Amino acid sequence: MLPELPAARRYLAGGTDIVTADNAGVEPSRCWVDISALPELGAIKETARALFIGSCVKISKIEASAAVRKWCPALTAAIPHFASPSLRNMATLGGNAANGSPCADGACALIAEGAFIFLALKGSKRRLLLKDFFLGPKKTALKKDEVILGFEIPKRRHAGAYFKLGPRAYFGISKAAVAVTAEISGGVIRRAAVALGSVAPVPLLAVKTGAWLAGRALSPGSAALAAALVKTEVAPITDARSEAGYRREMCGVLLERALNSLT
Amino acid sequence: MKLFSLACSVNGHKVRREILSARSLLEFIREDLGLKGTKEGCGEGECGACMVLVDGLAVNACLMMAVQLHGRDLVTIEGIKGKAGGLHPLQKTFMAEGAVQCGFCTPGLIIASEALLRRKPKATLEDIKLELTGNLCRCTGYEKIISAVAKARGK
Repeated sequence: MLPELPAARRYLAGGTDIVTADNAGVEPSRCWVDISALPELGAIKETARALFIGSCVKISKIEASAAVRKWCPALTAAIPHFASPSLRNMATLGGNAANGSPCADGACALIAEGAFIFLALKGSKRRLLLKDFFLGPKKTALKKDEVILGFEIPKRRHAGAYFKLGPRAYFGISKAAVAVTAEISGGVIRRAAVALGSVAPVPLLAVKTGAWLAGRALSPGSAALAAALVKTEVAPITDARSEAGYRREMCGVLLERALNSLT
Repeated sequence: MKLFSLACSVNGHKVRREILSARSLLEFIREDLGLKGTKEGCGEGECGACMVLVDGLAVNACLMMAVQLHGRDLVTIEGIKGKAGGLHPLQKTFMAEGAVQCGFCTPGLIIASEALLRRKPKATLEDIKLELTGNLCRCTGYEKIISAVAKARGK
């Protein structure tokens, strides 16, 4: 497919991670294949059942999409916390996922939205639940030369929220972040998904907490119990950005706030 | 090193240059075009000193590759002018409000503010603060910058 290129090669989308690493002298690949202008990867498409966001759609274009606001409330809530306005004019969800960071705001929100990731290699395509795409810090399921086509979010009416704790109110990498989606009717949560950033080796789907919330009344009491439960599901570490115990505690606080913000 | 034949528009003029494919947009602007108004601060997208407009959108030139400018429209601080020539309204209000001290962040701040006011001519103070989250200033404390942008609305 890319026969004459050096072995250490990567696709370049928005460049906000790869070029940063290169400027800092820590980017291992010396050959980048620029896919950022491919029209197939740059569109948001809506079908009867799902929304498809191409891997190279700029975050600011996603921010401006009425369909995304309607069908992806957690992703919509995450976008103001995604880097800065100028970086949102450059960055993409494909790059956000490919970078494999546990802190990725876009990936965390998309996991809570129940997104699938579409991949292609030499004409064969495959689809994974996004939660299964992340294998560890900077490790993903991408095979050599495999390209991310985009993300599919099933159209289900739901509420959503994204709460992030960083070094300041905006434009910082999170110490902890929580994305929540919930289908609510008659004051009862019918189905819920809770995803967390920066508190595990991967952007984490809190399966137990999500399952526990299903069938519960949406109330401050159930939010407090869910907050206690989620703290048992995360696996934070102490690093330059924060410490493990504080992160674990904040997961509960952020989830409680997120649930109490839903209507 | 491979050379790439880059064709683009720079501050309203058509430009064609043979460039190294490994050139960043910032290196292209400062070294190849000799436009020194665009600054390098952090090199990691945090400070906004290198901000320019590409197809009307603010981007960090330190994180974009020059080849990605092919066929597109670049405006640097040297291309920011008033309608009848002379100073742009933002440049006037930055001066009038004392929003400039050392001046290193100013080109990036003017670019970010121009991008905002083109998109939202009636931007609120909150809009202005949010838009400028990607621009660091270590001198002014931001208050005068925010009031300068507010005073440039509608001008």
